[in-house]
Amino acid sequence: MGGGVVLELSINGQMRTLAPAAVDPAMPLLWVVRDVLNLTGTKFGCGVAACGACTVHLDGQAVRSCVTPLSAAVGKPVATIEALGTADRPHPLQSAWIAHQVPQCGYCQSGMLMAAAALLARNLNPSDAEIDAAITNICRCGTYPRIREAIRSAAAALRAAQPRPVPRAAPRKLA
Amino acid sequence: MKRRTLILSGLGGAAMLVVGWGVLPARSRLGSASTLAPKDGEIGLNGWIKIAANGDVLLAMNRSEMGQGVHTALAMLAADELDVPLAKVHLIEAGHDTLYGNVAGFVAALPFHPRDAEPGRETQVVKIGEWLVGKAARELGINMTGGSSTIADAWDVLRVAAATARAQLLGAASLRWRLPVAELSVDDGVVSHSSGQKAHYGELAKAAATTPSGEVRLKEPQQWKLIGRAAPRIDLPGKVDGSARFGLDVREPGQLYAVVRHCPMIDGGYGAVNSDAAMKLPGVERVVRLGPYAGSTAALAIVASTTWHAQQGAQALQVEWRAPPAGTLDSAKILVELEARAREAAKTSGGFAFHSRGDVAQADQAAARRIEQVYRAPYLAHATMEPINCTARVADGKVELWVPTQVPGLARALAAEVAGVREDAVTVHVTYLGGGFGRRLDVDFVGQAVRIALECNGRPVQLVWPRDEDFTHDFYRPAGVALMQASLDAQGWPTALRITSAGDAITPRWMARGIPLLAGPIDLPDKTVSEGLFDQLYGIENQRIAHVATRSGVPIGFWRSVGHSHNAFFSECFIDELAFEARQDPIAFRLALLKEAPRHAAVLKLAAEKAGWATPPPAGVARGVALHESFGSIVAQIAEVTLSNGKPRVLRVVCAADVGTVVNPGIVAQQMESGIVFGLSAALYGRIDIEASTVKQRNFPDYPMLRLADTPRIETYLVPSTRSPGGVGEPGTPPAAPALANALFVLTGNRARSLPLING
Repeated sequence: MGGGVVLELSINGQMRTLAPAAVDPAMPLLWVVRDVLNLTGTKFGCGVAACGACTVHLDGQAVRSCVTPLSAAVGKPVATIEALGTADRPHPLQSAWIAHQVPQCGYCQSGMLMAAAALLARNLNPSDAEIDAAITNICRCGTYPRIREAIRSAAAALRAAQPRPVPRAAPRKLA
Repeated sequence: MKRRTLILSGLGGAAMLVVGWGVLPARSRLGSASTLAPKDGEIGLNGWIKIAANGDVLLAMNRSEMGQGVHTALAMLAADELDVPLAKVHLIEAGHDTLYGNVAGFVAALPFHPRDAEPGRETQVVKIGEWLVGKAARELGINMTGGSSTIADAWDVLRVAAATARAQLLGAASLRWRLPVAELSVDDGVVSHSSGQKAHYGELAKAAATTPSGEVRLKEPQQWKLIGRAAPRIDLPGKVDGSARFGLDVREPGQLYAVVRHCPMIDGGYGAVNSDAAMKLPGVERVVRLGPYAGSTAALAIVASTTWHAQQGAQALQVEWRAPPAGTLDSAKILVELEARAREAAKTSGGFAFHSRGDVAQADQAAARRIEQVYRAPYLAHATMEPINCTARVADGKVELWVPTQVPGLARALAAEVAGVREDAVTVHVTYLGGGFGRRLDVDFVGQAVRIALECNGRPVQLVWPRDEDFTHDFYRPAGVALMQASLDAQGWPTALRITSAGDAITPRWMARGIPLLAGPIDLPDKTVSEGLFDQLYGIENQRIAHVATRSGVPIGFWRSVGHSHNAFFSECFIDELAFEARQDPIAFRLALLKEAPRHAAVLKLAAEKAGWATPPPAGVARGVALHESFGSIVAQIAEVTLSNGKPRVLRVVCAADVGTVVNPGIVAQQMESGIVFGLSAALYGRIDIEASTVKQRNFPDYPMLRLADTPRIETYLVPSTRSPGGVGEPGTPPAAPALANALFVLTGNRARSLPLING
């Protein structure tokens, strides 16, 4: 039981103290997030890193929390779907997900969004092949075609919002 | 068995015998305001609608949202008739009154041929059958979300309830202002008059509750503001920020977590259990022995402080598992047996004939040529993304459930039985379902959860099945075999079609588990075994479409599109074979056989046009087509397929559909896409193998499915229709496999007659 050591986890911008009796360093991050911290937006799907429903960000990278031990997460920032955006300022992916009416049952969508957000954080103009490679999560409702479209449109929105290098002023034409 | 006795088949028939249908009056489905729980400031107008003080509408939601969009679509029906924006409709739990039962879904279970059941031109037998079953279903009031029946069931009921409420609200304004109703108008839930009088629904509701509605008229289609529009789904905001509450997201004070471990062998049991090591693990609280509940296999449950601690405990249990007493199940042997049974029955015109016409024997004798092929389909798992779960609390003689279920009333009945309390001592909260696909029409896990909760001293406990327990203890889509035989004339044109299929019947097995009261000792003919075979509208003059119902012992259940899921593969691939034999284009051939089915022909033509059927596909790409009616909707799909590293890859699917009146075209398109991906996953990879009563596939890596990289482009086109709405949740699935297989034939010259196509 963590050798009686109090563990601290940085999650969604907050430090959370985990009682030694409640957790174990070997406990997958998924269950710490869901059953100890009660952040239930992150989902359990398979337990073997096959479906991606449990995807969270660890140090900015998308990881499958069902096979990520708590010990590997301590000392690094963890972000879950609850911190992807806010009601007032949704992440462009969340807005695109609504615009394209992506979710059906919705169970896999937290993981899909977190995987997509990690992709766009490093690549604002992903090709189809790059989207294919980054989004290997399973959706039983078959929302994939809309996920692809929503990622593309969120990427476009993010590119448009980027501060552009100021173009050198064109020589002024003389009247 | 004579044709007329078919009326008594299925749930409706058994139901009638039990409730004594002859003496009970048909219940109104408007319901009374007293059905809804009273709450301060809210005024009930009928069994469906309450008005809040601010004028918002509270709608009793009786159906489960599992992705198919029914919460949005039902709210749209109410909002449109009430003239309020969708945002002003809020959903409340419907409770268990028989009012909320599903009638349309059970009426649709009658095994009538569509030629006899065309709306407005039903035969007398069909009319009587539908009336009887409708009456029985109303009395029974089983709340079931399934069979793609939600909108068909609510179409008149909910619109009438909303229109009646609106009439009462207008009546109240008319009395208050002493102005004729005809001069009043409603906009966004505000009633007004040109004189300047104005009041919102909240201000009129109290008076409306005692105002007669007078004559209620539904809106004409041209008056609809929402129906027919792609209104955004109301459940999506919570599904993009993690706040939507699924069954596994329930968190009640003091909650414990439990994990189940079944005997690995289906219907097996256990002898000695050593839980010493498990009990020593931190967080583990107790071990609970679980017998079979509503069809489940005997199991052990570990209760602990978190799901993970419970999983650790479950792994540490030392259990002496016992093989099932009834021998061992073997799926490969079952498939061989099914084929033998089908062949034997075909020789003697055996099995139950769901449809016969003409004289097949005579046509066979007159044939220039006969062809015969065997088609096979494997067992399949549902694999809902949200693992099976239920949260239960038993305290002070009361049971509270939080459960993702398609049948809350059946969940309540089983919970009451297990806890030994009356049904009205059980409260059921239906959460969002992380997929249903028919798996959540079973309530085995509810029985387990209540049994565990009985041991938890009043604390709530959340039972979850690890993924391997889900794959190995599902109620599987039954395996099926069909012997397809056709007689051809000298030109290769089909003159007779004989289909003899074999497989287990789902409905009687499901009823025995979920509604034991209605399960009889004899299996009546179950439409689901032959749906998609006997009800085809192709104009082949002589037909005998029969089924041999078997009992293999494998637990089987309803799986998205049920019998159509494999029967469409059998029938639409065989029709393609017949087109090939007749040296005809597959679409031209089908159209020639559909002269008396103009709606089907229109759907097929639309698909052909949108897919560019007349223009050849690029080199290395082939197109395949399938057309199939299920759940009141007709769907054609054209798949464009290529080979990639020798394996089929679907590039594009063009889908055309006639789903009757469209409530929300956005949701219809979503459901077609969903059904296609579901159908393609099964067609390419889906198989459950059972050896020594043990299921071999244990998790997603063993049971592959389409991922984003494998998913084709999908386009959906709708044929305009003014008929009442058909289903949309399932009809997209059946044509996917045959469209793909028919394209593969063009591509390779080899005809695949067994599923799955890759993982076979």
